[in-house]
Order: sequence, then C-alpha cells, then structure tokens
Amino acid sequence: MRPKRNLFNTESIDKIRKKGEKWQRQVYPTEKQRQEVFETLSGIPIEPIYSPTHLAEMDYLRDLGFPGEEPFVRGVHPTMYRGRTWTHRQLAGFGPPEETNKRYKFLLKQGATGINGVFDYPTLRGYDSTDPEAYADVGRGGVAIDTVEDMRILFDGIPLDHVSSSLVTCQPIGNISVQSMYFANAQAQEIPFSELRGTSQNDFLMETAVAIAPEVFPPRASFKFSCDAIEYCTKHVPRWNPVSFAGYNYREAGCTAIQEVAFVIANAIACSEELIRRGLNVDRFAPRLSFFFSGHSDFFEEIAKYRAARRIWYRMMKERFGAKDPRSLALRFHVQTAGVALTAQQPLNNIARAAYHALSAVLGGAQSVHIDAYDEALCTPTELSSLTALRTQQILQLETRVTHTIDPLGGSYFIESLTNQLEEKIVALLNEIEAMGGIVKSVEKGWIHKEISSAAYECQKAIESGEMPIVGVNCYKIEDEKLPVELFRVPETLEVQRAKLEKIKKERNSTNVQKALDTILHCCEKDGNLMEVVVEAVKAHVTEGEVTKMLKRFYGTWNPPLF
Amino acid sequence: MKKGIRVLLARLGLDAHWRGSIVVAHALRDAGMEVIYIGNQMPKEIVETAIQEDVDIIGLSSLSGNHMILAPEVVKILREKGMRETPVVLGGTVPPDDIPRLKEAGIVGVFGPGSSLKEIIQFISGAKGT
Repeated sequence: MRPKRNLFNTESIDKIRKKGEKWQRQVYPTEKQRQEVFETLSGIPIEPIYSPTHLAEMDYLRDLGFPGEEPFVRGVHPTMYRGRTWTHRQLAGFGPPEETNKRYKFLLKQGATGINGVFDYPTLRGYDSTDPEAYADVGRGGVAIDTVEDMRILFDGIPLDHVSSSLVTCQPIGNISVQSMYFANAQAQEIPFSELRGTSQNDFLMETAVAIAPEVFPPRASFKFSCDAIEYCTKHVPRWNPVSFAGYNYREAGCTAIQEVAFVIANAIACSEELIRRGLNVDRFAPRLSFFFSGHSDFFEEIAKYRAARRIWYRMMKERFGAKDPRSLALRFHVQTAGVALTAQQPLNNIARAAYHALSAVLGGAQSVHIDAYDEALCTPTELSSLTALRTQQILQLETRVTHTIDPLGGSYFIESLTNQLEEKIVALLNEIEAMGGIVKSVEKGWIHKEISSAAYECQKAIESGEMPIVGVNCYKIEDEKLPVELFRVPETLEVQRAKLEKIKKERNSTNVQKALDTILHCCEKDGNLMEVVVEAVKAHVTEGEVTKMLKRFYGTWNPPLF
Repeated sequence: MKKGIRVLLARLGLDAHWRGSIVVAHALRDAGMEVIYIGNQMPKEIVETAIQEDVDIIGLSSLSGNHMILAPEVVKILREKGMRETPVVLGGTVPPDDIPRLKEAGIVGVFGPGSSLKEIIQFISGAKGT
C-alpha cells in the first residue's frame, strides 16, 4: 500500500475550517432559510456550503483517478463523450411485432443509435397471447412475441449484425424464451453469434420482488434461469450483455437511490458467486455484466449515485473477486429517466422533467440513455412524443456542450462529498444483505419487499403532506384541465397473434416439438443449463407458453410476501 | 373514520406494477380498514374471493392498460353472482377519456395518476354499502 496522500495540506484545511465555522455562525444566520431542513431525495442532509474541509481525507489517485483507469469514478472510457457519445436508446414496443417493427425503423431513421425493445405483459411473464390469463394484456406495455416467427417479423429489415439490440425481457422466465428466439432468428439468417451485440434484462428480482405478476417462480429457480442465460452467453455469444441489473425498476417500485445501487450490486455479487461456482473465471463473465439505473429528480444525488456505484463496483470486483481485466472492474450502465416522476397532469411539463433527468445521467457518465416520452403517465408513447424524447437527447448531445470535457462535476466539493456519503450508505446496506445470507435469501424472507414497499409508502406520504413538491400535482395545479395531448391506442393484437399461432401449430412437426419439450424437462431434472435446450426448442417452433409450462411443472410457483 | 371496513384489493390480469396498490393497502390499513390483498387475479377469481371473504368493497389496480376489458368484467360477474351492493373502485393509469365508460360499466370510483391517499380513503369510507 502506498502512503495516503490527501488532496489538501493540513494547515490549509485548518484555516478553511476555522473560517467556515465562523461564516456559518455569524454570516449565514443573518438571513432566514426558506425551510428548516434540506436533504437529498434519499434523506442525506445537505449543508449550506461545501468546501475542501469536506474532502480533507480524499486521496485523488486512490479515490478518483483518471477516466478509463482505476477506480473508474471519472468515467469508464478514456475519452468518454469526446470519443463516442452515449447511445440514444429509445424504448419501443406495442401491439403485434408487425407494428413495432415499423416504430423501430422510424426511430432508427430519425437517428436512434440502438434498439430498446420492450415486450408485452404476457411475453414478459412467459405466456402465449392465447393463454387464458393473457387476453386483456396482449400487446400492452410492449410487443407480443409467441414464437421465433414473431421475432423474425420484429427485426425484419434490421441488420442484426450491425445494430445493437437491448431486449427488455425484465424477468428471467420471459428472457429465457425471448433471448433464445433472438439468437435462433439470427442463426436462421446465418449471422454468427460472435457478431451479435446487445443486452438482455434478465434480472431475477424483477420476477420475485420488483414487478410481480401471477404464478411467480420460486426465487432460487428464477435466479438459476438468470445465471443460465449469463453462462450461456459467456460461452457462446461473447459480445452480448446477458444481464442488465434493473435498478431502474427497483426505483420505480419505490426504492431510494441508496437501495437502488445496493440491491443491484448485491444481485451482481450473487450472480458472480454462482458463475464462479459453475467453474467460470470472473474475468470471463464480469466484463459483460451491465447495469440499468433510474435518472430521478434529485439532480446532484443522481450524479453522485452513478459515480459512487462505479467506485463500489470497482472495489468489489477487485478486492472480493480478484478480477484483473479492467472491463470487469468498470461499471457500465444504461439510464432511463424516471417514469414515476412523470405526471399525468399538465403532461407537457414532463419534457422539461425528463431533460433534467437525462442531463444528470450524462453528467454522471452513462453509456446509454432512454428519455421518457411526455405522455407515459397516460399511455404508450405516440410517434410524436417518442420523437420529442429522441430530439431531447440530440439537443443535449449537440447543443449544450456538456460532452466536451469528462466528468465535469468531478472535484466539486459537494458532488465529491455526496459521492462519498452515498458510497458509505450503500456499502452499509450491502453488508446488511450479506449478513442476512445474500440477495436470494433477502427475497425469500420478504425483507426486500418490505424495504421497497415502506420506501414507496413514505414517498407517497411526503407528496401528500406537500413536503415533496410535484408541480401540477400538489402545487401549481390546474383545475378541470383539458388534456393537451393525443393518446395512443394499442392496435389489435390478440387476433393477429392467434392467427399466427394457429398456423404455426398446424404446420410444425409435432414429434420434434414433443422431443424438445421432453429435453427441457430432462434438463431441469439434471440441473443443466436451460438456455442450451430452449434455444433448440424455439427453433422447432415451440411457443413461449409451452416452455414456461414445462418449467412450472418442474419448479412450481411461489407466493411473494408483498403485504 | 369508519372502522372495520373489509376491502379486497387485487391487481388485474398480468399487470406487474404493485407500487400503487401496495401503497393504498398500507394507507387503508392505517386508516383502520381490514385489507385483503390478493395480488394478480382474473375477474372470476377476484369475485370468488370477494364472496368468500365477504368484503364490503373491491379495489382494483391496473397500470397495464387492461382496465377497459377486465374492470367491467369484475362488475359483470359480481352482479351475476348476486352481489349487487358491493361497490367496485379502480386505480391506476386510466386515461381521463375512459372514466365515463368505466362509470357506465358500474365502477363507482376511478383514481388516476396523481390521486391522493386521502381522497381514496374518504371515498371508500363513504362508498361502503352505497
């Protein structure tokens, strides 16, 4: 260990501290504060002013360093946005794949630099469009996918070896079929797996704690599915990010910034341990673990959050897992601006909100960003609202010049101090989870459900008391407001999907289908990697619902302790 | 505040958002009501549980857009089973244009985004047995 080198000398710090204390005692109180307490959204007290005294312990090279180098706080790439700017990855998906394909092409034509595909509720949960639970949700919240044929239609005319695709599969059960269909479709087009670039969400907390729907798989099974996909991609699809730990969604469910980062990292620790147990070296899979964060309302706290997350991840991978590859040590992340921060009231205000959220993501060094459309508190985005969101990205990138230097807020007394405080609190929460036996245990016990739902309840109470102002909701309201936006209506989906499913079921080779389903069951019994067999099954036109039924038969379901 | 109102809360269909319904569940319980929270169910199961549990009111939650299909179905099955008095309310991302049609279908209260817990509690306290 090299000796600790503080940023400022002791003598200067003493002088500044004395002067600062005097200022706080004599000068500051001469005027009245407009409120008694100032704090961040996650409850960290904010002082009137920050100075070098707050960073007296900071060692620049140890704690901040340079971009592309340890500890990666200032950025994961050497040039950051001076080299390549963040990916403009606008979420899209609704109705049947025929319709979403048009929206993808529209966004790519308008300058989007990647696809961010979201799937409808039945697809996320592993149902076919024609399953009896699904009829009211088909085509809603995303695109409906039942078979590999739907995947072909979804990406028709889009070069899979040139465009990177993020598959917002959310839960491992939806992921296992959808990702398999994406890979099988690429193979049918003779695109080698080595050419495929993209990301799958595949987060077991999405199934068991954060987004819950009927017939949830037991936490250990869901966790296994997630690890199977990571292992499969590590071995066969080397440029694919097989997991995107979905802190964004944890936050949407109610988490604070501190919980958001602690829970994703606890999840990533559990996956890493499992993959190492399966015999993989940490530097084989860790470079492809990716993260997904929410860009929420507290501007500075969010910037500090991203920076703290990078430092925690770096230390964790290096000290705990002994990772050596710099790509294992650097935390890469996508940001979506916070959906929960949007209001249905005066919806055009959401354009301003989301722009601030995105600015904080960029000042925090995000690799890829989605900006929410202004109508998302009301409906699936229209073409106009999607385009406005994309243009907001382009304005941020091209007009504001915030991209011209790296980590422009690095060295700010406030930002650095907040980064340190967040790190401390996140690490404390990580230790608490560790003491409980890890993230899977914390889900099984219902601890995590309680943490998130209490935070959500507290937040709502703060909104209702007026303590947390929301423009248009608890202040500056317009009574009897007439909605100034056109609402999106989901196109007919169920009948379109039904027709295709009936045709496929009639034409496919039923012996092969049965064989594929038996192989899945057999794989469950011997605890093999399910991705290996599901990729083959979907090629035989096994539907997503059929895969899920087989897995449910073996693993059963679990009732999450939500309330 | 009325005491002892039995409320059944359910999320409709495959909708995966639980934040709103759980926050409401906590608030109703803190307001002295008895909350039976059953998570996601289809209309038939919701009505069956409502009958079994002999609840005073049913609260439905939907943020997936399935409300125009499933919420009226709950009311329809409820009436078919003879529970003519049990009021049904709905919360979630309901576009304002949908509200008149939901009311017509027998949903007595609709709470869209931005609704306060206070108004939900007041409404449920008043709606019981109406």
